[in-house]
Amino acid sequence: MIQNTVWDVSIILMGSVAAIFIGVAAGAPVALENYGPAIASAYRMRVWLFILAAVVLVAVNWRTLGELPYVSASAQGTPGIQRVDAVGEQWSWTISPTHFTVGETAEFHVTSKDVNHDFALYGPDMRIVTQVQAMPGYTNILRYTFKKPGIYRVLCLEYCGIGHTEMMSDIKVAAAKSVTGKTP
Amino acid sequence: MTTQAIGTSRGGIDAGIAVRAYLAVTGIVLLLMMLFGFTMRLAQAQWINIEPNTFYMILTMHGSGMVGITGLSGAAVMWYFVRRHVPVSTGVFVANLVFFLVGALLILGSGFIGGFAGAWTFLYPLPEHSGGLWSANAAAFYMLGLLVIGVGFLLLHLDVLRGIISVYGGLGAGLGAKQAFGLAPEKDGPPPAVAAATMASISNIVGIVIGAVVLVLMLVTLYVPSFTFNTLLAKNLIYYFGHTFINVTIYMAVIAVYEILPMHTHRAWKTNRAFYLAWVLSTLMVLTVYPHHLLMDFAMPTWMLIAGQIISWVSGLPVLLVTAFGALTNVYRSGIKWSVAAGLVFIGVAGWAIGVIPAIADGTVIVNSVMHNTQWVPGHFHTYLLLGMVAMMLGFMAYIGGGRAPSRLGPAGLWTFLIGGAIFVLAFLAGGAASVPRRYAVHLPGWLPYDRVGVIGAGLVVIGTSLLVTRFFLALRSPMSGDGIR
Repeated sequence: MIQNTVWDVSIILMGSVAAIFIGVAAGAPVALENYGPAIASAYRMRVWLFILAAVVLVAVNWRTLGELPYVSASAQGTPGIQRVDAVGEQWSWTISPTHFTVGETAEFHVTSKDVNHDFALYGPDMRIVTQVQAMPGYTNILRYTFKKPGIYRVLCLEYCGIGHTEMMSDIKVAAAKSVTGKTP
Repeated sequence: MTTQAIGTSRGGIDAGIAVRAYLAVTGIVLLLMMLFGFTMRLAQAQWINIEPNTFYMILTMHGSGMVGITGLSGAAVMWYFVRRHVPVSTGVFVANLVFFLVGALLILGSGFIGGFAGAWTFLYPLPEHSGGLWSANAAAFYMLGLLVIGVGFLLLHLDVLRGIISVYGGLGAGLGAKQAFGLAPEKDGPPPAVAAATMASISNIVGIVIGAVVLVLMLVTLYVPSFTFNTLLAKNLIYYFGHTFINVTIYMAVIAVYEILPMHTHRAWKTNRAFYLAWVLSTLMVLTVYPHHLLMDFAMPTWMLIAGQIISWVSGLPVLLVTAFGALTNVYRSGIKWSVAAGLVFIGVAGWAIGVIPAIADGTVIVNSVMHNTQWVPGHFHTYLLLGMVAMMLGFMAYIGGGRAPSRLGPAGLWTFLIGGAIFVLAFLAGGAASVPRRYAVHLPGWLPYDRVGVIGAGLVVIGTSLLVTRFFLALRSPMSGDGIR
C-alpha cells in the first residue's frame, strides 16, 4: 500500500534531518578552533548530497510518472471496462452501477451538479485506493480495478459546505467467481 | 548603500513602534487562531460537541487568519531587516497594518455575524452555494476583506521593490542574478535580506494581483447569478494566489534566520553563487509550481500536472541544500550561546526542511491519488508553517522584545512549543497515512485515536506559544533588544 511506504520513508527521512539538526545544535556551544577546513569539507559534502538528491529525483520521477492515473481521450470507453457514472451534488452522490466483482475494472465518469467535490474511493479497510475531483462543467475519467471483495465507500474529500461529511455512498464488490461457477 | 536605524521617524511615525505593533497584533491573532484550531481538534476527537456549521465557520476563520497573520508577521521580519539596506516608507508599512486590521474585521464579521464558512480557499462557486448557511452579503464581506488585505500587501511590496531598485538598480541585481550565473563577483552580491525580500515581493505581487482578479470576478457572481465563469480557471487562479501567498510568508520569515543566527554565532551568513542561484530558482519555482494543488483535476492539461510534480521535487532542493545546509554550517561548532531567539529560528529552519519531505511526497501524482485532501496535507503544511515559519517569527519576536523578559518564560515556551508541535504534526501525518480526511466536522470512530493525540499536541502548542507571546508583551516597555544587538 502506497500510504504505508510513504509514511515509512517520510518518517525515516524526517527523523534523519531532525537528528542532524539536534546533533549540530547540541555540539554547537563548543567552538571549533579551526573552522576553515571543516567548512570546506562541508561544502564538498554538499556537492555529493546534491548529486545524490538529483539522482533520486530523476529516478523517482521517472518511475512514478510512468504510472499516471490520467486516462487519455482515445482510451476512454475501452471494451470490457464497465462505465460508471458518478455525480456529486450538495450533499450526496448518485452512482450507477454500484455492484462489481473482484478483477473488474470500473471507469468512473465523475462530475458535479453544483460545487467542487472530490470522489474518493475507500477500500473495505477504509483506506483510500484512488480519487479524482468532481467539478461542475467537467467530467473527469478515473479507472480502478477492484482487488478485494467487500464494501467500498465513496467519500467527498473536497470541502463543499455544511453537509460535506454526509456525502458517503457504498459500492459492493463481490468475490470473483471461479471457472466452475463457485465462489472461491 | 543606505542604512536606516530602526526607531528613526519618517513622516512622524516611529518605525520601532510600528514593528512592535505588527508583532503585538501577530501575538493576539496567532493565539486566537490557535485556539480555533485547538477547538476543531477537540471537536474531531469528540471531546466537545459543536455543530458542523460552527465547525466550518471556525475552519474558515482559522485558515484565513493563519494565512493572514503569517503574512503580516513575515512582512514585519522582511521590512525590519531590509530597511537596513534600502530606503522604505514607514507610512506604507503602517498603512499595511491598517489595511490588515480593516480586512480582518470584515472577515471576522463575515464569519461570526454572517456565518460565512466557505473555507479560506473559497473555491468557486461554493461561496454562492451556501445551502442557506450564509448570505451573499456575508460572502461579499469575506472577499472584500481579502481584497483590502491584499491592497495593503501590494503597497508594501511595491515600496520594498522601489527601495531595492533605488539602491541596486534593478530587481535582478536585488536577487543577485549576476552572481547566480557567475557574471559578477560573489562579494558584490546583495545581502541575504535583500535577495529574499526581492524574491518575496516579486512573487507576492504577482500572486496578489491574480488573487484580486478572481475575487472581483467572484464578487460579481454573487450579485449577478447569470454571470458565471470557468470553474477550472477559477481553481487555477485561487491556488496560484493561495500557494504563492502562503509560501512567501516563509521566504520573508527566513530573513530572520539569516540575520539572527549570525549575531549569535559570530559567523557571517555565507552568500555564494549557490545561495543566489537558489533564490533565483526559488522565484521561478514558487511562481510555477502551483499545479501540484490540482493533481486530482484530471481535466487539467497533463503536461501541467507532470510539470507540477517535477517542480515540486526540484523546489525542495534549494531549501534543503542551501538554507538548511547554510544554517547547519553557520551553527556547527560555533561556540554559540543559545538564546530563545536563536533557538527558535534554528528550529524554524529544521521545521521547514523536515516539512518539505512529506510535502514533496504529496506532490507526487501516484501518492496524491491516495493522500490528497487527507490529514497528510495539514500534516505537512503545519510542519513547515508551524514548526517552520511560525518558529522563525516567534524567534524574531523574542529577538525584538525578549531582552528584559522573565528568564524562564522563554525556554519553557520554546520546549513546550517544540514538543507539542512535533506531536501535533505527527498526529496529522499518521491520520493522513490512515486516510483520515481533512476538513471533516464529524469523524468516524476509527479515526479518533489520531485526533486525540492531536489534541494533546495542539494544547501544548497553545501553551508554549502563550508563554512566548506573554514574554514579548512583558518586555514591550523595555527598549527594543534587537536594536542593541544590531
